Amino acid sequence: MKVLLIGSGGREHAIAEMMRRSASEELKLYVAMDYLNPGLRKVAEASNGATFITETTNAGKILSLAEKLSPDLIVVGPEEPQFAGVPDVLREEGYTVFGSDSKCSEIERSKVYARSIMWKHSIPGRLFFKAFKSVEEAREFMEFAGDVVLKPARQVGGKGVKVLKDSKAYLSDSVSEVKKSYVDILYKEMLGHDDVDYKVLVEQRVEGVEYTVQVITDGSTALPLPAIQDHPHAYEYDVGPETGGMGSVMGPGLTLPFLTYEEYRRSVDIVKEVVDALGREGCSSYRGVLAGQMMLTGVWGPTVIEFYSRFGDPEISNLVPALRSDFLNVLDKAAEGRLANAKLEIAEDLVTIVKAVAPVGYPNDKRLAAGHPIRIDEAAILSEGCIPLYASVELSSDGTLYTRGSRAVEIVCSGSDYREAYLKSEKAVEHVKALDGWPLFHRSDIGSAELLNYRVKVAEKVRRVYTSRAKRGMLGKTLLWIPGEGVLSNPLISDVKVGRS
Amino acid sequence: MAGLLAIHAFDDLWDVTNYVRYGAISLRHRGEDSVVVCLPKEGVKCLTFEEPDEIDVRLGSYVAVVGTYNDVRVDEDYIARGSSGGVEVVVLADRPYEELKPLANAVAEAVHLSSLNALESGLRKVFTEFSNAPTLLTLSSRGDVIAWRCGSGLTPLVLGSYGFDLAIVASEHATAEVLGAEVKRGLPPGEGVIISKNLFKTFKTSFSGSPALCAFELLYLARPDSIVDGVSVYEFRKRVGAEVGKAFKNEVDVVVGVPETALPYALGFSQSVGKPVELALIPTGSRSRSMLKVDPMEKVVAIHMKMNPVKKVLEGRKVALVDDSMVVGSTMKAAVQLLRSEVGVDEIHLVVASPPIVSTCPYKLFNLNMERLLAANLTKDLAVKYLDVDSLNWVDAGVLSSVVRNYNIKLCGKCFKECFFG
Repeated sequence: MKVLLIGSGGREHAIAEMMRRSASEELKLYVAMDYLNPGLRKVAEASNGATFITETTNAGKILSLAEKLSPDLIVVGPEEPQFAGVPDVLREEGYTVFGSDSKCSEIERSKVYARSIMWKHSIPGRLFFKAFKSVEEAREFMEFAGDVVLKPARQVGGKGVKVLKDSKAYLSDSVSEVKKSYVDILYKEMLGHDDVDYKVLVEQRVEGVEYTVQVITDGSTALPLPAIQDHPHAYEYDVGPETGGMGSVMGPGLTLPFLTYEEYRRSVDIVKEVVDALGREGCSSYRGVLAGQMMLTGVWGPTVIEFYSRFGDPEISNLVPALRSDFLNVLDKAAEGRLANAKLEIAEDLVTIVKAVAPVGYPNDKRLAAGHPIRIDEAAILSEGCIPLYASVELSSDGTLYTRGSRAVEIVCSGSDYREAYLKSEKAVEHVKALDGWPLFHRSDIGSAELLNYRVKVAEKVRRVYTSRAKRGMLGKTLLWIPGEGVLSNPLISDVKVGRS
Repeated sequence: MAGLLAIHAFDDLWDVTNYVRYGAISLRHRGEDSVVVCLPKEGVKCLTFEEPDEIDVRLGSYVAVVGTYNDVRVDEDYIARGSSGGVEVVVLADRPYEELKPLANAVAEAVHLSSLNALESGLRKVFTEFSNAPTLLTLSSRGDVIAWRCGSGLTPLVLGSYGFDLAIVASEHATAEVLGAEVKRGLPPGEGVIISKNLFKTFKTSFSGSPALCAFELLYLARPDSIVDGVSVYEFRKRVGAEVGKAFKNEVDVVVGVPETALPYALGFSQSVGKPVELALIPTGSRSRSMLKVDPMEKVVAIHMKMNPVKKVLEGRKVALVDDSMVVGSTMKAAVQLLRSEVGVDEIHLVVASPPIVSTCPYKLFNLNMERLLAANLTKDLAVKYLDVDSLNWVDAGVLSSVVRNYNIKLCGKCFKECFFG
């Protein structure tokens, strides 16, 4: 089967790896990418395919490439080509495409839209929010916003979220100052993106443990993937700035050590309900992936933090050693709307740990992090029983790999338990070295017993809270009494309107 | 003994003024007389305040290191500056250390000469060379924070964080919580952490001896809402109180904790002996740790401010008076005088929630003067007479060891003439 894969990073390398193993079809892989990812090139060349450096968000360029190659299936990996309408143009021309179109991917592109859909369709796990178009209005609101999360209303590369716990009155002034300055920064950052009216989103802040639940769907059937936990903080012990994800853990089975099966099932239901709701909102057939970035909270139990209209990165990498089904076949069926009889089998007793290795400078100073020659000793990593997936690294014409400023490589290790997978992963990351002595970092705590036990404890705490609230019919409710005005249910003191950005 | 705090924002939108101020307030019990705040300005600038409340001007910095000290003028054994190739460094130690200045210079050199990659090994070398150094914080003129818990593990450091924005290192668990942060972990003995704009890295140094936490940390110094090396301070003190209660042979009607820091012991003791705790001595003004006062007059003032009696609950009763530690005995002497002459109690049985302090601290954590230590100079009979009590009950060293063993830790007991508890 001739497949054109669009995208350049670790996620696409993981997709390519899994498609390559198809038993039913012989893969011939073509990749359209923004820079030369050596991992993708290797899979493409081994399948007698080829790679093309192009602008992956340019529908015209992708279409002419498709016309040249006549692929049987086109897989659109990242969100930006989806937002830019690449799948729309390809489908109009009759191509079979896996990847949500611009209408369906609005669930990721506009966080206001995502929240509104949940309220309009009364989907559990929804949080209160308030969206702003004008900077003045937003700044004014920040004065008394309270315990909130600030987000740019549009997805900007997974960045830009500020979690501003405001639970100590004596520190409130300092936190308010940061909120206001951050609103200014977000407005500036959003200037380049005119595809949304709302610029800044304020959400009720919640606490708990995060995890991702993804489904592969053709719009009517949704096949759930196991729960996977990403680690967004740059540094060990969940310290430091937000990143695209420094690693992720999965298994054993469908759930995670801190998540009950019932909680997993309810999370999958939420994601499926959103697929259905989107169908009623003009996303006529969602053919691709919907990922729910979830948090187990005291407010709801499973709660939605945000959605992705594509595979989570690095979450998808966890599947590479664990997937038993024919991935290419599943993607093809989803793209053709024939998912009803498809199956997705996952190795039951396997634990997988993904660790990203990044150059120092990431994520706050990517210029500092970019341009360092790096050696990824593939053979050594494989001999540890792990798989390297190339991410933000570019193969130069002289054959040297250079960092591009983000996570350079994702290393996927598996084992029959966390201890085994963890030990492998810590050995494997040693086989990545910068050739100019520039420091690289990874999170050695990911997958460790210490961190997992900590998650279990946090989950137990929020489980006690949400279970007690459920018994009292209080799930999702946060009551506020303003004397003289009455009891309000919204901690952000605003009417929830189903608006469209 | 001092209180240490470092706050580092990864995003320079932050101004840490309020965090410094309220963090210093939360560490006041570890150092009452001055607050030193260092910022990476004009090299490294350190400001000294008498009260945390005086920190009301905007510091204008995303990073600060702070020490609270029991001295108005803190000398070079506590705070030292070093420099190397234009990099300035300030080191704040939590106990006096004669080699602090050379250590500061060595840290500055490591920061100046090491590439980011080599900084960790550079610092490991420094802390191996100065292996007897106390727990400390350093701030460089570039804004890097280095925190290190001494290899002997005498005093703790805790790492916390707030959202995606702040990293906090403090002498106490409770400080991180007071600052709205989540406590991530206590640093094990000999572990350090480098926190800077683009780097966050823990590093380990080796120590030849066997690490042990200062017994006073759990017995007296730490806030009851803190967790030290995995031990809930409140729970520990209640347990010790309960054990003392089990061995207690006298009849009493009420249990009184004095000062209020002795309350967890008094509660544990009361549950063991089956007699109620009463809030019988009411402090005036803010809490002050009289044991840490150096000036004798200030000490007496601090003691007298701690206790005005609620006569109704004490008059004509047999009282178990529970103290969390007794060094000179002046607090107890004052309390007993008050209970005898102003209240008219029937009997006073003094319960001290530590073994007798009979030696000075070899690590200079506490400023104990051998001549003034009650237990070192007075026989038990004489102490009972001097204090004018009906009985004097210390915690037995073996009992303390058995409580400590439950927590799988070791406590240094040098000032009790014991190598270790636990």
